[in-house]
Amino acid sequence: MVSKRLGWTLHTLLSHYRHHPLQTLFLLTGLITGVALWVAVQVINTHARSSYQQATQLLGAQASHWIRPAGDGGIELEQYIELRRAGFRQLFPVLEQQLTTSDRQPLNLIATDLLALPMDSVGAFNVTANWSELMQPPFQAWYPQSLAETLDLQPGEQLALASGIRLPAAVIQTQAQQGQRVFMDIGAAMTVLGRTRFSYLAVGGLTPVEQAALSSILPAQLQLVANQQSLDLSELTQSLHSNLTAMSLLSFAVGLFIVFNAVRFSLNARSTTLATLQELGVSVRLLSVAIAVETMILSIIGAAAGVTLGYLLGMQLLPAVANSMQNLYGAVIDHHLLLQPLTILKAWGITLAGLLFALGWPLWQRSQRALASQRSISDDWLQDGKARRMLALGALVLLALALLLYPNMDSVAEGFALLALLLFAAAWLLPVLLAAALAALQSLIPERAWRWRWALNDGWTQLPVLRTALMALLLALTANFGVDTLVGSFRSALENWLDQRIAADIYVNSEKLKVDSVLQSPLIIDHHQRNGVDLRWGLRPAQIYGLDTRAPDSLQLPLAMHNNALAAWYRNEAGVVLANEQVHHMTGIDPGDKITLTTAAGPRKFTVAGFFYDYGNPFYRFYLPYDIVATLWPDAGNRGLALWLERSAQAGGADISSSTSTAIEQKLLQAGAQPGEWVYRDDILQVSIEIFDRTFAITAAMGTLTLMVAGIALLASLLAIHQRRLPEYAHWRAIGVRRREWLLIILLPLAVCVLLTWLLSLPLGTLLAWLLIHDLNVLSFGWTMPMLVQPWPAVRLALLTAVVVATTLIITLLQVRYRLPATLKQLGGDG
Amino acid sequence: MLQLTDLYKSFHQPDGDIKVLDGVNFTLDEGRSAALLGESGSGKSTLLHLIAGLDRPDSGSIQLQQREMTQLTDSEWNEVRRSELSLVFQQYHLVPTLSVANNLQLQARLCQRLDEEFRDYLVERLGITRLLRRLPHQLSGGQQQRVAIARALLHRPGLVLADEPTGNLDEGSSDAVMQLLVDLVSQAGSSLLMVTHSPAMAAHLDAQWQLHNGQLTLIEEQ
Amino acid sequence: MRWLPLLLLLVAGAATADDVYDVLRRGDSGYAEVVPGKTLVFPADHLAHPTYRIEWWYLTANLTDERGQNWGLHWTLFRQALHADGKTEGWTSNQVWMAHAALTTPAGHRYEERFARGGIGQAGVALEEGRFSAWLDDWQLQGDSAEILPGSLHFSVDGTTVQLELDMQTPWVLQGDRGYSRKSAQGQASYYYSQPHIRVRGFIIEPAGEEITVSGDGWLDREWSSQPLADNQPGWDWFSLHLQDGSALMVYRLRHENKRDGERPNEGQHNHWLSGTWITADGHSRALSADEIELTALEYHRVERANDSALELPLRWSLALPAMGDGYRWTIEAMDPHHWLATAFPYWEGPVVAEGSNPGIGYLELTGYQ
Repeated sequence: MVSKRLGWTLHTLLSHYRHHPLQTLFLLTGLITGVALWVAVQVINTHARSSYQQATQLLGAQASHWIRPAGDGGIELEQYIELRRAGFRQLFPVLEQQLTTSDRQPLNLIATDLLALPMDSVGAFNVTANWSELMQPPFQAWYPQSLAETLDLQPGEQLALASGIRLPAAVIQTQAQQGQRVFMDIGAAMTVLGRTRFSYLAVGGLTPVEQAALSSILPAQLQLVANQQSLDLSELTQSLHSNLTAMSLLSFAVGLFIVFNAVRFSLNARSTTLATLQELGVSVRLLSVAIAVETMILSIIGAAAGVTLGYLLGMQLLPAVANSMQNLYGAVIDHHLLLQPLTILKAWGITLAGLLFALGWPLWQRSQRALASQRSISDDWLQDGKARRMLALGALVLLALALLLYPNMDSVAEGFALLALLLFAAAWLLPVLLAAALAALQSLIPERAWRWRWALNDGWTQLPVLRTALMALLLALTANFGVDTLVGSFRSALENWLDQRIAADIYVNSEKLKVDSVLQSPLIIDHHQRNGVDLRWGLRPAQIYGLDTRAPDSLQLPLAMHNNALAAWYRNEAGVVLANEQVHHMTGIDPGDKITLTTAAGPRKFTVAGFFYDYGNPFYRFYLPYDIVATLWPDAGNRGLALWLERSAQAGGADISSSTSTAIEQKLLQAGAQPGEWVYRDDILQVSIEIFDRTFAITAAMGTLTLMVAGIALLASLLAIHQRRLPEYAHWRAIGVRRREWLLIILLPLAVCVLLTWLLSLPLGTLLAWLLIHDLNVLSFGWTMPMLVQPWPAVRLALLTAVVVATTLIITLLQVRYRLPATLKQLGGDG
Repeated sequence: MLQLTDLYKSFHQPDGDIKVLDGVNFTLDEGRSAALLGESGSGKSTLLHLIAGLDRPDSGSIQLQQREMTQLTDSEWNEVRRSELSLVFQQYHLVPTLSVANNLQLQARLCQRLDEEFRDYLVERLGITRLLRRLPHQLSGGQQQRVAIARALLHRPGLVLADEPTGNLDEGSSDAVMQLLVDLVSQAGSSLLMVTHSPAMAAHLDAQWQLHNGQLTLIEEQ
Repeated sequence: MRWLPLLLLLVAGAATADDVYDVLRRGDSGYAEVVPGKTLVFPADHLAHPTYRIEWWYLTANLTDERGQNWGLHWTLFRQALHADGKTEGWTSNQVWMAHAALTTPAGHRYEERFARGGIGQAGVALEEGRFSAWLDDWQLQGDSAEILPGSLHFSVDGTTVQLELDMQTPWVLQGDRGYSRKSAQGQASYYYSQPHIRVRGFIIEPAGEEITVSGDGWLDREWSSQPLADNQPGWDWFSLHLQDGSALMVYRLRHENKRDGERPNEGQHNHWLSGTWITADGHSRALSADEIELTALEYHRVERANDSALELPLRWSLALPAMGDGYRWTIEAMDPHHWLATAFPYWEGPVVAEGSNPGIGYLELTGYQ
């Protein structure tokens, strides 16, 4: 009996959605887009994290350890064969190299010997491919689909490198853990690239006995290191994933605004239904149950569609994220997204929670009101003042919380909580500010400009309906402007820094280069030979570099801070070290503090003389004088040679003449370098910026998507307003209001509101960027940079918003035009 | 003033066409008033809408001040409604965000014929002087209708069209409002055509016409 | 079996081949051809012949431990050329190596296969410091000199290490016509020579560390060709026997597919290609022609393969050489039927017992059964 009554009550409640398809559409759109963005990021994050777990694997094979050269220069074939013939068949050779394409795109290569992979790992390989063609001249280069698309590469094409080398014919083919890299047979890669040594040997599945045996026979210049990449990657990438999650939650919040919006519009129509049902004897309790069921049904629909859409979106966004991970951290992320049950469950959970807040709660509230009051609902705009004040009050509470949190903030999560508090406080303040602005404008406009006054007055009718959408728009604009400012500042800081750091004209990194022979060239006016070792410091990998303190780029090293000991560093004194800014921000070490580094002879203390900027480096890095490194770490390897070239007078002194570059390349070849082992300054700069832009592509994508969701909110609101006001417009028409007058009345308040929202997003976005740069960035990555507020992103966002508003307006105008005649005919009838 | 000749209008319905107006002829002279009586659904409002250009006849002629109206475009009709016609509805259709003062000046401002003297006179006669600064929702129904009447007359339109103007009012206020409407229309120098189903209200006017089965017949004329 | 598609492509260069043994039937031009009349020269011909498509070094041994338990082993190094372009050294080498090792212990059968590319030193057959050496990773057959024998064999399977000394008693036996071994009437042939009398002694070290001393008789086969099988030959049945009187016998049958429908592959004698060699205790050999050999499968046995499927294989045979006399008649039976090797080239190989008036032990190899 109860279930039958519930069925009918529910049927009556849900009939609303059938009769108001547009509201239904918007409710679902808001819900689904919000959930979808969240799911997309979740799927990507989970996938990336599981990829890090697989970092103990390499191209599908177990790689629990690595054998790396103690210094630089790679591993000789003979060393490898010796180990294989000693029975260590868990070893397989790997060549990893960063290449630059002829149009200056960075490209990572990974190569191994498929026949040498441990037997049990071969199952992970894609065996549909033609292996003998991979291994035999003219060889093949395998690209994942998305990489081929990025490089605009057709199957069969041979990618040209900046060095003039052409890679073998392209095949679209993906292997386990290939990531966004080109895969080749190691023999093919060594042959084509002219390499003679492997980057390292991967070691799969060692028993303790085997490990001891391997260590004991390993030649001195090779070292067996445990593969801690899973740990390192999880640690290093945590911040980036938090960033993505925060952005997706913001999108979800914007989506909820749409739902809230749609529910509010329908509330008036539905409260009549609620009253009728109660008059017909449906108990408040049954009504509550029906509302709960309705919420549940919508949450299931929303979550299911959202998860599907999110998964598809995730697949679209994955290459961008994979690129970021590869470029920033060297993390390899595969292309097969997994949708975990937990993600689906979580998606449904947040959908349900969101709907309870945005749909269930308002409906339930309405159903709890006394029957009598339900029939006499005065216009929204009359109640709006009260709602505005409530929101403003809430905003003040949020602000107070934010102020309390700020001084005690010491984790990335807290940082995002602070940002959320600020964003929502601003959003909730918006209606009050808009109302104040409308009132102020009204008082400014003289009585005789009565059309304008009328138009501004009309703002009071529009405001309650637009309120939610404008709050969503403010969130989206603020986030976009803030992130644009962050990325812009980072880009500009990186460019300046690169300009200073990459000061030499040409950089050579060659195994076989006879340096002395090169330096005899009269074309070379200065040079900088560096050495270095990789070790662990604290929990993270660290890089030790030995610099020539007299080299031009050492002399103008961009320092974030330093003390008097700097002079001692420049005097090549032992015991003084420069560290990157990350060391300062992540560990709290100050100039003058002592740190301990593990040298070949054991731990040794160094005084920190200062911190240099080191943008984008996830690792700790220490600079010591060249000879000190050579003494303390006898295994230290070559870290490249920088050369400053003579500039001929006729070339204007700025660029290196082509005759100079031809001559120096000739010289390098004579001295034993291979083509592709040197790179010009401009190319490094260009490739670095290219990598940067690719890395932040995901941020831009997320920003645009959030703005689109806000656009939908605006469209939904405008359509709802106009649909409800059609009789009013018909009457205006009946007393002779012209179309352009009508347009002025409708458009002016909307324009004022949107313009104000945009204006407000600028200082807010700047504040957001400031917090991101000065607090969150330091917490996340450990580096600082000057904030650069650029007008262009603001203008871009204004244009984008204008396009969104114009689009929604055109759609609503068409709708009004189409439906107005019918409404006109009903004038005076039932009103 | 207003001349209707052989007006035909039918509506398409799923169960066949309904002839609402079946050859209607009607004349209203300058400064005169007429009531249009008829049962619910007889087509009174349709006829009013045709005269106001809110709907189009199937055939026939509508002449306003000797001008043939049936061929006018939408925007030409809009200009006519703006300056030569006035509409008073059962629902008062005041702009909720505008004060009473701004509401009653609205149409006069739209056609740029704001006579401040006449405005003050109307306000006084209608007894809404103290209400000028209020918003529509702060007024009673009768007060709102008085504002609507002032708005309709302030620009002295040639013709006032009223559709059950007292339909939402109680009997006492109805009579008062009706009397004011008739008096003020004549002071504005306008003609009045009013749709009503109440013979009592109709009695206030110069002529009474009955619409029945699509035909309009004169019942009484003073 | 995961390697199967890989190898299929590696060796055949064609994704369409259903039968991995196709590599033995391909007659691509460009490879060196096997022609009669070539004189085999030792030790030079112990080394690889990279211009021929395929080649193998194939050792089997029947061993007993100090407690009299039977052990068996086979160890093979295969060489394949992917192209006939002659590049054998460096990263562009066209040579690919594959090795199999199998151990029959009193407890069962264990085997392993390995692969390596040629040209980089991970696998090969060459003189190292003047000594013959055939190796893949740490599996190695090494001569004491440029000769293969006397020498030693070292390999490990599943943690069990095998270390054997091999000694040669008699001269090399050239199979067929002075080493030219015909495989069909259409002209398929290989160069083929063997050492049937190898004295084997050594140790088998179990994963737990137990060291077992073993000794017994070994047999080494050397064969290379560019196309040893004809198109209608799905595979072969190969027997090697060490007989009680010290003589040895090798018989093989290349099965022909022109059998009648519904028949088992080797029922009757449908012109299968039969060949064999009788070797006396002092190493004198006599080639056996097809009409001198009577080989019949007596019993089929169900053998489990790796992927849960089973195969009916002829594991009990009767063999007679009537022309040699009445005593030349044996019933040959697998010691243990479960010797299927689910490798890239799947086959059955295991120790057998020959009963008759001059009994013996040996190895049976069955290939090409599907």
